[in-house]
Amino acid sequence: MRVERRLEQPRWLSLAVPLVSIVVAFVFATIVLVATHHPPLHTFRRLFDAAFLSNGALSETVVAATPLAFTGLAAAAAFRMRLFNIGGEGQLYAGAITGATVALLLAGAPSPIVIGAMVIAGAAGGAVLAAIPGILRAFFSTNEIITSLMLNYVVALIIDYLIFDSHSYLRDTKGFQASVFPQGKILPNEASWSSWTIHGLALPLGALLAVLLAVALWGLYAGTRFGFEVKVIGDSARAGRYAGMRTRRKILAVMCLSGAIAGIGGASQDGDFRHQLDPRGLTQANYGYTGIVVAALARYNPFAVVLVAFLLGGLQNAGFTLQGADFPNGLVGVLQGLILFCALGGELFVRYRVRFDRRRTPAPEPVS
Amino acid sequence: MNNSLLVVVLASGIAYGTPLLYAALGELLAERSGVLNLGVEGMMLVGAVMGFWAVQRIHAATTLALLGAIGVAALAGALMALIHAFLVVTLRANQIVSGLALTIFAGVAGLSSYLGNDLNLARAPARHQFQEIFPKSFQNWPVVGPILFGQSALVYASWGCVVLVALYLTRTRMGLNVRAVGESPAAADAMCVNVTRYRYAHTLVGGGFAGVGGATFSLSITPQWIAGLTQGAGWIAIALVIFAFWRPTLCLVGAYFFGAFTALPFALQGHGVTVAPELFQSLPYVMTILALVLVSSRAARLRFGAPAALGIPYVREEG
Amino acid sequence: MDFEAAPGEVHALLGENGAGKTTLSNILTGLYRPDEGTIVLFGESVEFNSPRDALDAGIAMVHQHFRLVSPFTVAENVVLGDHRDIGRTFLLRTREIERRVEDLSQRYGLAVDPRARIWQLSLGEQQRVEILKALYQDARILILDEPTAVLTPQEANALFETIRAMAEDGRTVIFISHKLHEVKAVADRVTVLRRGRSIATVPASEATPRSLAALMVGREIELGRQNGGRAIGAVCVELAGVWAQGDRGVPAVKDVSLAVGGGEIVAVAGVAGNGQRELAETIAGMRAPIEGRITVAGRNLKGGDPREAIGAGVAYVPEDRLGTGVAPGLSVASNVVLKSYRKPPVSRGPLLLLRKIREVATSLMERYDVRASGPDVPAWQLSGGNLQKLVLAREFSGEPVVLVAASPTRGLDVAGIETVHTYLRSAAERGVGVLLISEDLDEILALADRIVVMYEGAVVGERDATSATVEELGLLMAGGEESV
Repeated sequence: MRVERRLEQPRWLSLAVPLVSIVVAFVFATIVLVATHHPPLHTFRRLFDAAFLSNGALSETVVAATPLAFTGLAAAAAFRMRLFNIGGEGQLYAGAITGATVALLLAGAPSPIVIGAMVIAGAAGGAVLAAIPGILRAFFSTNEIITSLMLNYVVALIIDYLIFDSHSYLRDTKGFQASVFPQGKILPNEASWSSWTIHGLALPLGALLAVLLAVALWGLYAGTRFGFEVKVIGDSARAGRYAGMRTRRKILAVMCLSGAIAGIGGASQDGDFRHQLDPRGLTQANYGYTGIVVAALARYNPFAVVLVAFLLGGLQNAGFTLQGADFPNGLVGVLQGLILFCALGGELFVRYRVRFDRRRTPAPEPVS
Repeated sequence: MNNSLLVVVLASGIAYGTPLLYAALGELLAERSGVLNLGVEGMMLVGAVMGFWAVQRIHAATTLALLGAIGVAALAGALMALIHAFLVVTLRANQIVSGLALTIFAGVAGLSSYLGNDLNLARAPARHQFQEIFPKSFQNWPVVGPILFGQSALVYASWGCVVLVALYLTRTRMGLNVRAVGESPAAADAMCVNVTRYRYAHTLVGGGFAGVGGATFSLSITPQWIAGLTQGAGWIAIALVIFAFWRPTLCLVGAYFFGAFTALPFALQGHGVTVAPELFQSLPYVMTILALVLVSSRAARLRFGAPAALGIPYVREEG
Repeated sequence: MDFEAAPGEVHALLGENGAGKTTLSNILTGLYRPDEGTIVLFGESVEFNSPRDALDAGIAMVHQHFRLVSPFTVAENVVLGDHRDIGRTFLLRTREIERRVEDLSQRYGLAVDPRARIWQLSLGEQQRVEILKALYQDARILILDEPTAVLTPQEANALFETIRAMAEDGRTVIFISHKLHEVKAVADRVTVLRRGRSIATVPASEATPRSLAALMVGREIELGRQNGGRAIGAVCVELAGVWAQGDRGVPAVKDVSLAVGGGEIVAVAGVAGNGQRELAETIAGMRAPIEGRITVAGRNLKGGDPREAIGAGVAYVPEDRLGTGVAPGLSVASNVVLKSYRKPPVSRGPLLLLRKIREVATSLMERYDVRASGPDVPAWQLSGGNLQKLVLAREFSGEPVVLVAASPTRGLDVAGIETVHTYLRSAAERGVGVLLISEDLDEILALADRIVVMYEGAVVGERDATSATVEELGLLMAGGEESV
């Protein structure tokens, strides 16, 4: 068997591969379910119902998908430059912290101002956190993968500290609830992000922002000088430098951009859904890591990120709704993992062509 | 004397550090062969749940049951690693994404919980568990008693593993080969070292170690099955490998160091001092970042840095 | 192709790039399988399915790009993959291995400390390690692929002695080269390859460089020079006392002063690794000078900033085409505007004008005969010659004051080389100052007006191309006396 690089990637493959991946993943999941004596069709049916069909399911799916869209876009933004920002998790927390702080500080101001300030603060929080691995990568060539990963845990601990182990500004110390279990201050009404209902489907402001960001990101990378530079440096940093591009600055800028997107996702958690800084809720959801999976499945295309976030959000929403004795616990993670495994495996068929022959003949060499 | 802060912290640091040590040794082996596996957390959890399942189901004397359970945990971890190895070695998929996918697949919201739920393992204490093996009289010796003699067999076994892995890497031919595969697969391949086989083997053994690390939780520290009981230990293990500059002996020091940070706030509380545990818990991560920055310069990278081919799929150049 | 070599013989394979030297050696070392025909080794027909088979049969190769593990010691590298005798023991017997390596290195004059780590060694020393590896494996046939490309002349001479010593031991050495004088110096017999065929096998003692060259190219080569005859304008680039650091942290460019006039082709000759690449990078801004002044068209450059150099009118054809000269994964069109994307007509403000980019790319591809199936194919798919044409097209389109070309014909076939030469000449005719960096004296003599020789980072001599001789230049490149 020989594996060789494809000279051209047929367009139909980039659609066929994800679809086939999903089908194959469901086949594997069926095997798992049958092996553990669960009726597969019935289970999938319930999953699908809870995700998309039943009353209000779609709105809940949007709720679950919104943060994934943000973290997915964040990962995709960085990956365009072959930067692996796996700190989307922490950057989302950072955005949630700064967003909530600004919301509390500006209590009483007109709502649009508060909301606008939250978006900016969230973006800034995420960007500042992402700047740390960015600076280390740009100036010390420290691997950004591990540093951004480590910072996730640091910020998770900071968030815990703010609510559980200190008397911080963000912690609720007065309410009845707070005396039972520590929690964050409830944000003022002005800080509630608007939402629109269309045919019973509730669309939060965050979801719309995510879609807008996807469009903006696509435009940025497809049609601007900045995007061109990012692509060149991502492909070959030496070529970028040779062409006179400021590679270090670009690394930093892209990391900050990526962090800012995740940070807005954090602010959206405060403003759209949780209305307080909610450490447990945020740290248990693994939005950041799932976001990387979303981006990878979407092959780092911003529009596909939104779509994939919606699908995986549906799965998560269903898993959450169906939690209980009669539904196989952990099936959602298994399914998500399987889909990704299959997509990763399928990627091989996009990039390479597999040929079965015994003879080794030298391929014509482009350069010797 | 044996209740003094230092002794308590060291003794419990060793106990908390042991699962980290196992998982880190495994990750170290995989990384030395050039495979970065971010799925440690998932492999640990599956190891924990399967080890616990085995101990509940094997009807045998305690020692045998526990040995069997460790074997099952290692096997389960290795099986998880096999998915990763197939994807990244054979199919040359992105190692980071595949590792994360493994964590999602096997982790808290995935297979480990699925199995824990399906095999009805929650809310029951372990039928057998690892206990201190030295008699109480040894443990009462000042200072060394609790630290050296108050530990379970898993701790002593881990010391053996550290020595074995260290000797394996530096003194054996296979160790030389695996280091070559991690540093320069092209050079190794030219000298007829089978890159694929070495990467598979070490990723699988790495998964086995992670499984044992997970079982350390469910059979010794906790000891019962709770979904997500590792609480991020897998990620610390990944950090630990970097912190230890990819050296097994430093892994041991680092694991106990990190373990002690976990234990310190609780020990301090016992002495009437209240500090935020988050402060100490975040130190391993911060120190790992610093360690990484320190080895970033070209000269330092050659001596202490990551294996040069870490994370890079190997494709033989044939023109 | 037919080819044979006897034990105890040094057999040279001579041919141009693309003549099939590398493919032949890949077949001998088991990397490729022959489509047809057989390999007969010491009277026995063999079939190699993998590199291991070849190695076990006693064939070892020293590649141009070393396959060494840089954090390992010399001894560790030598013993890697060994599966016989003490190489088979479970534990490594480091002392014993080091002793054996030491013995071998003394016997064959391969001075290198077995305990040294590879990254501490010079390229010449690393090559010795590669040869030690082969000897340690008891290779009866050693293939050396252009071994002198990275060596100083002294090192090359030492290598020739090693090669003789190995041959006297009854080993066969296959010496791949395209340098005529080397082949004459070291080989017993020479097989000339051209376009995948063995043209002739002649005893080295009977061959002359001229006869070999004729066989190699397939026609009498004209040593006629096409240089001169251009009007040389004002100085367009001037270096005064420039020093620059190399990758190993020691100065690689030492006190270099030179000037190129408009329309002039100045060649920098030298054995690879004597600071020429670093010099080119310094002028192009890829490397910061630690001392000295670079002036382009009267403008002083701060240095170390490629954008500044581009702005001043420095065009640069880097040695590493794929990876520096182009972004290999990006389209040909993107690579055409790699340097001009900041300015109109291909961008307006922060926006890129994608349609305009395609237009510019298509017309440039046509004008410079860059053959690709379209402007959207990724650059890595282009052949070496077309890739170089793409780079040259882009660099010329920036209307440069000076063009720095580093080994612009390395790895190209004959047609590609001729095209590149034509482009370089036409650039000079348009008044561009050309600084050509090359290891190939034939190329230099065919193109240059003036020749500067670099040795160990410094300029050791300067000659007018019309009066310079190969012997004289060769001596300068070898660090010989300036006065000779």
